[in-house]
Amino acid sequence: MYNSDKIAKKFNDLKTLPHVAIRVTQLVNSEKATMHDFEEIIKLDPVLVTRLLKLVNSPYFGLANRVESISKAVVFTGMKHLRNLVAVEGLRDIYKGEDSENGFSRRNLWLHSATVAILAEMIAKRIFGLEGEDFFLAGIIHDIGLIAEDQVAGELLRKACAAYQPGLKSLVESEREIVGTDHCRVGGLLAMEWKLPDEVLNAIKYHHETKKQFPLESAASVVQLAEYFAGKLKYTTIAGKVDPLPPHLIKHVQSMLANYKVIVRDLPGEMEKAKELYNPAA
Amino acid sequence: MIDDTIIDSVFADLEDGHEKFRVFIKEVSCLLAGGEVQLWLNEEQNWIPVEIFPEFSKSDRKKLLKKIERQPLVRVQTDKSGEIYGIAVPSIEVVMLVRFSGGEFNLVDSPIGSSLLQNTINLALLKCSQQDIRIENEQLSRQIDALNRQHGKLIEDNYRQYRVIQDKEKSYARKLEQEIARQTAELRETNRKLEDASRMKSEFLANMSHELRTPMNAINGFSDLLIETELDEEQYDYVKTISGAADSLLNLINDILDLAKIEAGKLELENVSFELFEVIERAVAMFKIPARNKNIDLSFVIDPIIPPELFGDSNRLRQIIVNLISNAMKFTESGQVVVKVELVEHGVLNLLRFSVRDTGIGIPSDRKSAIFEKFVQADGSTTRKYGGTGLGLAICAQLVELMQGKIGVESEVGKGSVFFFTIPLLSPVVGHDRSASLPAVDHQEQAPEVLFAGRERPRVLIVEDNKVNQKLAVIIVKRQGCDVEVAGDGLEALQILERERFDLVLMDVQMPNLDGIEATKRIRALEMKTDAGGYVGLSGEKLVIVGLTAHARKEDRDECLAVGMNDFLTKPIIKDKLTAVLRKYIPRN
Repeated sequence: MYNSDKIAKKFNDLKTLPHVAIRVTQLVNSEKATMHDFEEIIKLDPVLVTRLLKLVNSPYFGLANRVESISKAVVFTGMKHLRNLVAVEGLRDIYKGEDSENGFSRRNLWLHSATVAILAEMIAKRIFGLEGEDFFLAGIIHDIGLIAEDQVAGELLRKACAAYQPGLKSLVESEREIVGTDHCRVGGLLAMEWKLPDEVLNAIKYHHETKKQFPLESAASVVQLAEYFAGKLKYTTIAGKVDPLPPHLIKHVQSMLANYKVIVRDLPGEMEKAKELYNPAA
Repeated sequence: MIDDTIIDSVFADLEDGHEKFRVFIKEVSCLLAGGEVQLWLNEEQNWIPVEIFPEFSKSDRKKLLKKIERQPLVRVQTDKSGEIYGIAVPSIEVVMLVRFSGGEFNLVDSPIGSSLLQNTINLALLKCSQQDIRIENEQLSRQIDALNRQHGKLIEDNYRQYRVIQDKEKSYARKLEQEIARQTAELRETNRKLEDASRMKSEFLANMSHELRTPMNAINGFSDLLIETELDEEQYDYVKTISGAADSLLNLINDILDLAKIEAGKLELENVSFELFEVIERAVAMFKIPARNKNIDLSFVIDPIIPPELFGDSNRLRQIIVNLISNAMKFTESGQVVVKVELVEHGVLNLLRFSVRDTGIGIPSDRKSAIFEKFVQADGSTTRKYGGTGLGLAICAQLVELMQGKIGVESEVGKGSVFFFTIPLLSPVVGHDRSASLPAVDHQEQAPEVLFAGRERPRVLIVEDNKVNQKLAVIIVKRQGCDVEVAGDGLEALQILERERFDLVLMDVQMPNLDGIEATKRIRALEMKTDAGGYVGLSGEKLVIVGLTAHARKEDRDECLAVGMNDFLTKPIIKDKLTAVLRKYIPRN
């Protein structure tokens, strides 16, 4: 049995979010940060620079002109977008790993995370008229706790996944029983360690919460909604298993059913545009 | 692509199958302002109420169903709250109930009313079918709002960054300025120290002049004297060699000292009248023999419109010209060396251009500016081949600068060079005091003839503390047929003058006990007294006193003249100059 601290610490020692990503995340919150600071940090990793410029120029951003430098990317897309891209690049590496048929697959989890990220951003923008960057980050990183558990306590996690029965025993519950903690807690600790924004941290911590109610437009609620729809579209955390939505969110979806249907309908198009971001082959 | 079946499956858990009716109710409600709308849904041949007006009883429903099969619009009930109508909506397989509150007319009887209701339903149905488009629009407009806000933030953020960058740049610029200021101050301080050091070095050298010249003076003077004694050929050769070497050493010392003096700011120019022709001729004359030996045609041309008499420092002018000729001679194997003086500007101030043209080896263009630097020759190898210190041109350049002139060179490698300088020289003003000029030294009259032969020997008092100079002066003066008396300082001189008469006193300025200046003052004071204070030597005509100064500075000379000396000589003692003074002040007959 493990506790969340132990898993988070051990994971952080083994495989952490790259320094660049952590620095960039902190920069976004700094009043004094400029595009030059971004450039200074990012250019230390020439591979990352190339990747970022490729992403910035991908259809996902739909920029009118080609962006040739990190500082320009900051000017045209904003710091948060750039932070997300750096995070995506860092996470992509973390999510790389061997696939097992045992109900848990890093590859599928990555795809799930990307889908949740895109859906969360869509819901934030289309339903609530909010800016989507923080929601995207929350989505792409919300299951980081699972990777940590897989890294540190892979066998136990696999058992937990097997014991997980949607509707009867949630994934979080079986994790607590078998691993000793759950991926929400572990992810929350990591987010704290990495100094991610509070909104993102809460989304990681509470995206399986059923008792506590968060405002509908909070990242915690939006990620929960996105998680549900992604699961329904077979982009599940654990193959074939989807937890039901808590009642207040069901009510919300029902009240805007047609809106959500449009979002689900448009998802493939958005995923196609963002393909460059999450494509594991990249 | 996600088709409807997938969407349905996604939303299966969330839907009760009545969504489309809810949307329809919403649409119709919007269109029928003031009307309350409910639907009945027929499912599996049974009419099932979606939502029911509570007061609408089961029997009412049965009645309505019967009626509705016969006519599309049925007036069901009228109560206090209004009238309820039922109307079939076949396309979604429901019966719609609508209640109008406070309506006074019967819709069933009014064809307009029923068709209005029918049209409303059709419109609502149309709207339902367009729901997706509408939602897309809504979502788009929300996204546009978000984008607008984001855009605003982006602009704000970019502006914030711009300000931060500007601040950074400003503080960077400030730092840079401070750093530059600090370094400048440091450099200035270092520079000042260097200048101090350089000046001190130059002062030291200038002060050394006395110390260096005194022994040189002895070597020169005595080898000159030695040559005039009876010597065998070998001895003569040796002495000649010593004399030549001493001459060139003295020249070198003079050059270095001149340069040091100029750099120390201690060289002051004379301003006396001189004959230009004489200066040039003499300078050229010095090189006649070497020119003949090397088979070089050495000549000079002076523009006749130049005033023959000019004001300036003729000695320094000659020094420049001699240096330039010497330089030209050194680097010319054969051909010509021509000295030329031209008038550039005429007036009280005459701007003259002096040039020395040679047909020598020439100077590469990239070395032209460097050759006026100290210790530099056009090519390091020239020193080995041609000798020289490389000081000559540096001194020329410094002197020309001191004279407010410009020096330059035009040259072509292998064809020759023209060194030229332009300096302003004053035309003499009538009545100008010419007493400051040194007695002319006639180089032609170097024949060792005795000045005062065959008559009463003139008496000369030599006041000098340095034994070597004493001895040299004594020998030179004696050779000219004078009787000599020697005093070691001013006091001793006065004692001698108390009892003896002299035709001339050679008075060193720097001496212990009583120096030449003070001694001269006392002598002149005594002369003013009746019977000269009992001094035999001062009772007759005014005594001729010629000063001997180690420093060639103007203020030293001025001081000599001010205290009443008739003239002065600069050390080292040079035979010709001393002889000239004797000739000038002691009548020969």
